[in-house]
Amino acid sequence: MIEFILFLIFAVFFGLLLHGIHRKVIARIQKRPGPPIWQEILHTLKFSFKQTWIPKTASQVMYVAIVLIAIGIWTSALYVLWTGGSLLLIFAFYMLHKIMEHGTGLSSGSPYTKFGAIRSVMSAAAELPLLVTVAVVYIFTGTLSISGIAAWEWANVPLIGIALPAAISLYLIILSKAHYGPFSVIEAKELVSGYWTEHFGGWRALLNIALALKTFVLISVFIVVFLGALPWWLFLIVMVLVMISISFICATTPMLTPYNTVLIQTIWTVFVCVYGVIMWMVLSCL
Amino acid sequence: MMEEILVTIPFGDMVHYLSEYTIVLFAFAAIFVILAVISLPEKPVDIAFGTDGYTLKETPANLMKFQRFMAIACGIATMGAVMTGDIFNFTLFAAFIGVLNIGIVAAVKNKHVLSAAFSYGLVVMMGTVPLFSGAAIIVATTGTLSIWELAVSGGVPVIAKLLLLIGVLGEGMAPFYIGKAEITRASGAPYILMIHVSSLLLFLRLVEILLTV
Repeated sequence: MIEFILFLIFAVFFGLLLHGIHRKVIARIQKRPGPPIWQEILHTLKFSFKQTWIPKTASQVMYVAIVLIAIGIWTSALYVLWTGGSLLLIFAFYMLHKIMEHGTGLSSGSPYTKFGAIRSVMSAAAELPLLVTVAVVYIFTGTLSISGIAAWEWANVPLIGIALPAAISLYLIILSKAHYGPFSVIEAKELVSGYWTEHFGGWRALLNIALALKTFVLISVFIVVFLGALPWWLFLIVMVLVMISISFICATTPMLTPYNTVLIQTIWTVFVCVYGVIMWMVLSCL
Repeated sequence: MMEEILVTIPFGDMVHYLSEYTIVLFAFAAIFVILAVISLPEKPVDIAFGTDGYTLKETPANLMKFQRFMAIACGIATMGAVMTGDIFNFTLFAAFIGVLNIGIVAAVKNKHVLSAAFSYGLVVMMGTVPLFSGAAIIVATTGTLSIWELAVSGGVPVIAKLLLLIGVLGEGMAPFYIGKAEITRASGAPYILMIHVSSLLLFLRLVEILLTV
């Protein structure tokens, strides 16, 4: 257990560092100096010591509980990753994250957070490609265990080479949850900070930690499932490279309207569903 | 004097299905049931367009009590849906969730919200047809509705799986929620949030069932 706690602390700091790298890369592409890469770590520490209270308009228990739920969801997801557990469970935790976004937005009483929460539901189309990813991975490997998938890739070939659309789907999921991304309509600037506008001080620090864990888990799952188990130092380098690639997209792509976000995600969902059905039929015949 | 048992209700078909996955879903549903019990609703801020003014909406006590009852019942039905090992019970719980979701929305006395509740009601009613048809086709082709047995024997037709999926999408209503009249015009947390909790958990359980059978 002590190893997992140490891993958890590392994941929080590394996830925050990835967010810092994300901001720095976006800034440099846009010819701004940008903040130092450890800025998100400093932010989180700073928020931890700021004055914190609960808005008068909030559903008070829910307002606090949803932050703890966010931490719980991603700590559990990290544990599943740590133990090489089920990919289906990671999928479930990701879906539960949607409830967290929704609950955060609905609990404060603010119209800004509420619209962020509504957009979170609207962008539910983004989750279906993830389901197809899970199904395609199962069709190829015959297992949903993360350690089993890594073992299959060790014995055969990295899945990214034979299931590229599934890999793109998971990549889009990571992109859709990145800050300042083309699909980040739930925290668009016209809604201030969107669904988490009213969570400030200590609550914001805890949400920062949860989102850092989310980034760490999603990128790790992407690497393990589609590239296989790598040495730890190479794993971290690839994580940074994946984050930088996402930052490039975020820096060069304007934020889409909610309508276009849903439209693009739905089109990709249809495409990847057709791909999934074709793969299933082909592999069933073999 | 010894009391006689008047009637025995056969609950033999209430097979539990415990796995890491369903326990996580069950725990999540249980947390939100507890939150629905102990949380008070938010007080939404409404901006008066064209002015700097805003108003604060209070939820009347009788509305709060009714929505809380519906939300708790919906949470309990969700816990049943994610734990059951029987497809017929799953479809029953799914239909139950659909009705309770409408109850949460329809409690709000606002014409836009009631209009949305009416639309959701139509979707839920239509959703029951493919939902129970899927279960019927499964029992007709395999002779059982036990997920335990179907996981071993397989043989569930793809059309039955598709019908179950369509039925759950109808009952859960999540894809049809784009209008969101009940969120923008009524208190969201914690009662309306239960609609989304139940629909997502129902969908997640269905995914597991479809991959298992």
